[in-house]
Parts: sequence; structure tokens; C-alpha cells
Amino acid sequence: MLKRLQIVGGHAAIPLFAVLLGLVVGSFFVFLAGANPIQVYDQLFCEGFGSRGCETFDDLLIVEAENDDGELETHFAPFYGERGHGMAIVLEKATPLILTALAATIAFKAGMFSIGMDGQLVLGALMAGFLGYWIPDQIYAATGVADFEAASSVMRTVMHIVVPTLAISAAMIVGAIYSWFAGFLKVKLNVNVLISTIILNAIAVQFVGYMINFPLRADFNNIARTRAIDDSAWLVPFTRGLFSEIEWFRGSRTGVGIIIALIAAFVIWFYLWRSTSGYEQRMTSGSSLFARFSGIATEKAALRAMLISGALSGLAGAIMILGVERRIVDGFASSGTGFDGVLVAILARESIAGIVLVAMFFAGLQQGAINLQFGDLPRQLGGIIIALIILFSAMENFFRETMSRIRHRIAPDAMTQTSDDAVPVESG
Amino acid sequence: MEETLAVEMRHVRKYFASSNVLAANDVDFEVRQGEVHALVGENGAGKTTLMNMLYGLVHPDHAEIYVYGEPVRISHPDHAIRLGIGMVHQHFKLVPSFTVAENIMLGIEPNQFGFINGKSEAEIVRELAQNFGLPVDPNARVSELSVGMQQRVEILKTLQRDARILILDEPTAVLTPQEVHELYNVIRRLADDGRAVILITHKLLEVKEVADRVSVMRRGKMIGTHDVADVTIRDMANMMVGREVILQVEKQPATPGDVVLKVENLLVAGMGGVPAVFGVSFDVRAGEIFGIAGVSGNGQTELIEAIAGLRPVDGGRIMLLDHDITDVNVRTRRTEGMAHIPEDRMTMGLNLQTNLDENVIVTSYQKPPFSSYGILNFQPMRELAARLAKKYQIASARVGEEIKTLSGGNLQKVVLARELEGEPKFIIANQPTRGVDVGSIEFVHKTLVEERDGGAAILLVSVELEEIMSLSDRIAVIFEGRIMAVLDAADATEEDLGILMAGGTLDKKE
Repeated sequence: MLKRLQIVGGHAAIPLFAVLLGLVVGSFFVFLAGANPIQVYDQLFCEGFGSRGCETFDDLLIVEAENDDGELETHFAPFYGERGHGMAIVLEKATPLILTALAATIAFKAGMFSIGMDGQLVLGALMAGFLGYWIPDQIYAATGVADFEAASSVMRTVMHIVVPTLAISAAMIVGAIYSWFAGFLKVKLNVNVLISTIILNAIAVQFVGYMINFPLRADFNNIARTRAIDDSAWLVPFTRGLFSEIEWFRGSRTGVGIIIALIAAFVIWFYLWRSTSGYEQRMTSGSSLFARFSGIATEKAALRAMLISGALSGLAGAIMILGVERRIVDGFASSGTGFDGVLVAILARESIAGIVLVAMFFAGLQQGAINLQFGDLPRQLGGIIIALIILFSAMENFFRETMSRIRHRIAPDAMTQTSDDAVPVESG
Repeated sequence: MEETLAVEMRHVRKYFASSNVLAANDVDFEVRQGEVHALVGENGAGKTTLMNMLYGLVHPDHAEIYVYGEPVRISHPDHAIRLGIGMVHQHFKLVPSFTVAENIMLGIEPNQFGFINGKSEAEIVRELAQNFGLPVDPNARVSELSVGMQQRVEILKTLQRDARILILDEPTAVLTPQEVHELYNVIRRLADDGRAVILITHKLLEVKEVADRVSVMRRGKMIGTHDVADVTIRDMANMMVGREVILQVEKQPATPGDVVLKVENLLVAGMGGVPAVFGVSFDVRAGEIFGIAGVSGNGQTELIEAIAGLRPVDGGRIMLLDHDITDVNVRTRRTEGMAHIPEDRMTMGLNLQTNLDENVIVTSYQKPPFSSYGILNFQPMRELAARLAKKYQIASARVGEEIKTLSGGNLQKVVLARELEGEPKFIIANQPTRGVDVGSIEFVHKTLVEERDGGAAILLVSVELEEIMSLSDRIAVIFEGRIMAVLDAADATEEDLGILMAGGTLDKKE
């Protein structure tokens, strides 16, 4: 047990170190912007992860607030939800990141370096956004009911289940097909997946942009947008439904989406590490020659991974539209959420639990960075700090070697011992 | 008589953090001028690492190095070359599309106003080749040369840079017997000329034939240095392994049964669609080891991949136990009783990025008890892994950890254990002892003979003539994609095989 803890600690040490280095080097840019790094980081993390009234790092853990009687009370900050909590917004923003990071991981774990999450996501979003009003329209036309308000409660319930399910399924199918296409090009024609997915992303983004601006444009609003989805297609946020009593969620549009994302994370973990199909694709990514040699249908395994990957991206797009945005506005297509998912996957190093944590961290930083600009600081500062953290975390091997070397310097004899274990020779 | 040593290395220490290996542990090593000094040891003993440190490719954690008595710190191969040290690597570092002269003069081209003078390059090289008695056409393209000639170019390259100390890393691994003898002559001449030649090898016969002194390394430690005249091959083998080794393969005469594998007029394309196997036919019977001898790159890889189902067949037929398997996928071949010990265990035989459990079930994961309804069952996997580790004495494969820390010999045992599990009827053994230590070679050979005696048909491919001759019951020689002859192992001599391997025929002899 202790050993297992040590291993987990070893895995976590380097990302934490990378975050620290990213912040240290990032302070250089903060200085350039003419601010005090400590204050900026206080603000960045408070806006991202803190409760209301959070001002410094300390407030992330313990916060003091006046209660109704005007007395000061001490609260454990993560549970202090008066007027909403930063973490609730983190949950909202992390949902698509978790899903697209899962999508990237499952593709990587089949040896396919697909970064096509962006394209699949926007196509899935378009599909869900369209079906989100089109299906209800058909139902109302067929039943003669005027709209959602006029429907009976039974009909409402049925529609609330059927419409989102259909829209989400369609979005997942669209994403899967689009992703499969890149896989097919790789398997049959040996087209580099990285390149084909970049191209497919560009095509999808342009296509969705066109659809929003012309065929699906709803009105003459300044910024082109589609019609809003029907209320029956809406994945109602916690604040309006399930947990409307809980203050903690105030200001956040998170809802069923985060639950779906967490379930997806578990399912993907199970698939990769417990199922024979997952085993096949992991062996394929470890060494495709090895997999072929052993009789594994490597092409099938790779294509299956691409299908699942695309479906997850499509799901991410559907949740963004049905749960958060409720319509597609011009500019949505080029927001790059899918690519952020790739970064999360890389930072999490193929660990599913890691994806959930990193996605939240990422979402918090992004949220904090947006709010930085309400001070005098450029929003780009947050982007720079995130980029630096990614850069440092990519230096994993360098850190590992260095740490190992330092340990070796400190206790060379101990290392000699382990090196004997590591290179065993039979004793006869 | 006090002479200056060509190379003296003292207290060399090198630890590789990434693989957690202590490759050199307080090693002392010295080479005299004018001697051929063999450096022997099992794979992973640290001999190549030691020489890479002398050549500036690897930096020691601690070392005192003297070249001709001068203390030096060699930071880079350029520096080593300036000190008169030359190294010929196991894998040649030549530019195939350049001519011999261009390769030899690369980086030290005679130039005029920045333009390379091709004519004088060729002249310099011709003169160099003449001086050392190593004839080679300076204008030939390297891609058109035989492996032996390419090696000669590599040696000339070091000589052109005035190498007084030559390091040759496993120079005979890729040569035919005739080429090997020629190389021995060259090495002798260079030494007689006053140069120091360091020969990295694990072939002890070679040491006996060409070296003056021998240094033996084992697991990063220098075991000792001896005059070759004073030690026997058995002594050296024992020093390498640290225990008694049986060098001879003990086996009874074969009792061949029915034909298990039948290959008819097989036609297989190699890289880029160029035919690599031209109408090869042979059969392998139950209870025999059928060896295919040949210099590497003569179609063995393509032939084996076609039989194993990894490469499409362009013509001909492959029959396994009277079933036509020419176009059948790998899994079906395996369920029909085929096992395959591949040439490259690092990328084909094993997945180094996962643990022992997942490596041993790769051919049976889809069947119970290892999985049911598409879900893996870990308990039976672990039990199988533990049982095989015990049966094959796979040392210290730690549960749940990636297997990449295992030594070459242990990795090969993992492959062997998995492939021989479930009593295969036909076994492909492609270079089964390449890069494996002496102790494990013995084990692999014994295991293969046991399988033969148990009634399996074995197709053995090896570029080590010794291995082919000691294991096989019948020997086929492959040259440029054709089988030159099939001999009974009892009648085959090294000389005959050598002639066939170089494309000759035996007709004139009779």
C-alpha cells in the first residue's frame, strides 16, 4: 500500500513541479505587464477555484464571512457556496474538456495521433443544435400541440427524455463517422492521422461557420446564430432543476453534462483496461508489429478506437449546445475546445483520473484568466501561464533523469543494489 | 621493458538512470600498441558502453583515461578522432547513395574555393586503399557494395583519419565465413603495423583465432585480462557467465514423422515491391529441426513473414498440416498450431510497455479462462504468468511492472514461454539467440531440442552458422531469395555452407 502511494506520488510530483515552474517563469510576464505576480496569482486562482470573497491563496481553504446576524463565521472554503462558487463554473467548463481529452486518449492509446476533436465537436454541436429544435417541431406538428408550455406533463417528461437522447446520439454518430474517416485514410492509404485530422478540422470549422451564417441562420441579429433549441431538448442546469436549492451552483450552467462526462470517464477506463477490445488497442499502440504478429486485427482495433474517439467529441459538442449555449453562435466553431482537450490528455499522460483533475485545473485557469482582464491585466496572460505549464510538463523525461541522477549522487550504493535487481542474471 | 600503453582506462564508472543499469562499475582496461585485444562479455555486460566512452559517445560518471600516456577527457567523437581513435560500429554509418570516396572523405573533403574536388578525393582513397592492402573501387556507390566491402570502407574511413587505435564492434556478425577470414587478415596486418585493435565480440572462437589478449566483462565489472594463449574457450565462457557452461548442444538423432509445413514455389515481395523470395520450395517434418542458413538480407525475413502471415504472398502455396494457409490470417494460423519466435523481440515479440501478464496472454486473451464476454479476467492471467516465470526461470519479472527492465536473455525466455505454451505443432524460430547471453543461449537451444523430441516441426533461421550446424537436422542455404541446396546436417561442412551462402555451387567438388 505504501509502495502504491509512492508510485502515485511519483506520478504526481512532476506535473506539480511543472505547474510551479510555469508560475515562476510566468511571473516574468506578469512583471512585464506591470503587476505584482503574487497578487495576480492570488486573483487568478481565486477567480478560478475560490468561493465568493476569495482574495488570497489562504481563502481557497478557509474563508470567513458574515452570517445573517452580522457575526464572522469560519467556513471550509470549497463547501462555502454563498452566492455561487468558482468550482461550479469549473465543472461547467471542464465537461467538454474531459470528454475531448478522453477522445484524444482513446485514439492515442490505439497508436493514432488524432487531434480531430475540434472538427468532430463542432459537427456534433451543429447536429445537436439543429435537432434540438427540429425534432420538437416535428413532434408539435404531429400532435397539434402549440409548444412545450402547452404540452401535458406526461408528454413533457417523454419529450425531455426522447429529444435530448436523439440529439445526443445523432451528434455522437456524426462525430464518430468524421473521426472514422481519418482512421480509414490511415489504415487503408497510410495517410498521417495528424495531418488528415488537421485538415478535417479546418473543413468542419468552415462548414459549420457557413451553416450558421446562411442555411441555419435564425434572425438578423448582429452576430449570426441559429435558432435556440426547444425547452424539451434542454439539459436543464442544476440551478434550475435538480439542485435549485443549493447556492453553491449559482452562476454556473453545469448540469447533467458533468455527470455524463464522469460516467464516460469510467466507461472508457473500463474499456481500456478491463476489456479485451481495449487490450487489443493498447497492444496495437505499444507496438503494432507485436499486435499483428500475435494475431490481433490491428486495423479493426484502430478504427474502433477512432469511432469511440469521434463519438466522445460529438458528445462533448452536444452537451455544450444542449446544456450550456442552447444555440450555436458564430465563432463557436473556432473556439478550439477540442484542441484544449488534446492538451489536457497530454498533460494527464493517459491517466483517466488524471484527465478529470487536469481538465478541472485547466478550466479553472481559463476562468481565472478571463476574469483577470476585468482588472488592468491582459487576458492573454492566463494563456501564457497555461502554455508555460504545458511546456514544462512536456519536459518530463528531463526532470525524471535529473531527479534520478540527484538520488544517485546522494546514495550511490543504494542504486547499485537496485541496478542488480534490474539486470538479473540467472544463478545456476 | 617499459612500453607506453595505447589506451589505459582506470576506475571507469557509468550509471544509466533511465534504465537503472550500472553499465561500468570501477572498470580498469588497457590496450598495448600493436596488439589485437578482444573485449568479450554477454549482452548487457557493458563492453560496448565502455568503448563508447572511449570514443566520446557516452560520458562516464567517473574515469581516468590515458591515450598514449596522456590523460584525456573525451567529450565528443571528433575529439576521439583527433586523438587517433577510430570506431567501426555494428551498424555501419555510411551514406548509401554516396560513392566510396565520398564516404571516406566526408567532412574532410579536399576543397578549392569551397568546391569539393571529386577527382582528388578518388585519388586519395585509391592510394589509401593500396597502402593498406584493402582494395576497393573509390567510385563505386556504397549501396552497391556487399556488406563485407562496406565494412572495409568503414575501416578505411578511420584509417584516413589516422586512427592508431581501432575499435571494431561485433565486426563479424554480418559476414560470410570467407569474408570473416579476410577480415581477420586485415586485423592482423593493422596490428602488425603497430596499431592497437580492440575487438568487441561475444564469439569466443573468434577471440581464439585473431586476438592476442582478451578482457572479459560481466554485468558492468571487469573480470580479468589474459593472454589468449593461456586460456581455453571454456575458461572464457565460464568467466563471462560466472558458472560452468555446456557449449555443445546435446541431442539424439532426429526421428522425422509426417510433413507438417509444406512450402511450394513461394514468391514474396520485399520492401518497395521488389521480389525477395523467388519460388522457394521445401518441407519441414514433425520431429525435425530444419535450418535455413544464409547471410542476413537474402530473403529470410520475407520468407518467414510470409509463412507467419505478416506479409502477402505473390505466388505459390503454404500448407500447414494439409490445410492451405497461404491467405489465412495470423490468428487462424496460430490456432492451427503455429508458433513464432520472431527475430526482433523488442518490437515484434513483446510489448515492452506493458507487464509480463499482458505479454504472455497476447495469443490467448480472447479465450477463456483469460476473458469472458469480452472482459479480461486478471486472476488466470497472473497465474499463467507466474507459472511460466517459474517454469522458464524468468528471473525477477516483477508483478505488474513493465518488462522493459528485463535482460535480453530473460525477454527471449518470455517469448519462448508464451509461444511454446499450448504445444504448437510447428515452430518458427527466427534468430532465436540473437543478442542473448551465453547462459540463455544454452537454455533456448535445449528447449528447442526438447520441442523437437516432443514431435514439433521446427523451422530455424539463423545467420550464426554454428547455431545452424549444431541444432539442425537438415540445412537449406538461402542466397538472394533462392534455396541453393538442402543438405543433411551430418554431411554439411562449414566450408560448403560458406560457398553456398556466397552464391557458389558445390558441383566442381565432386
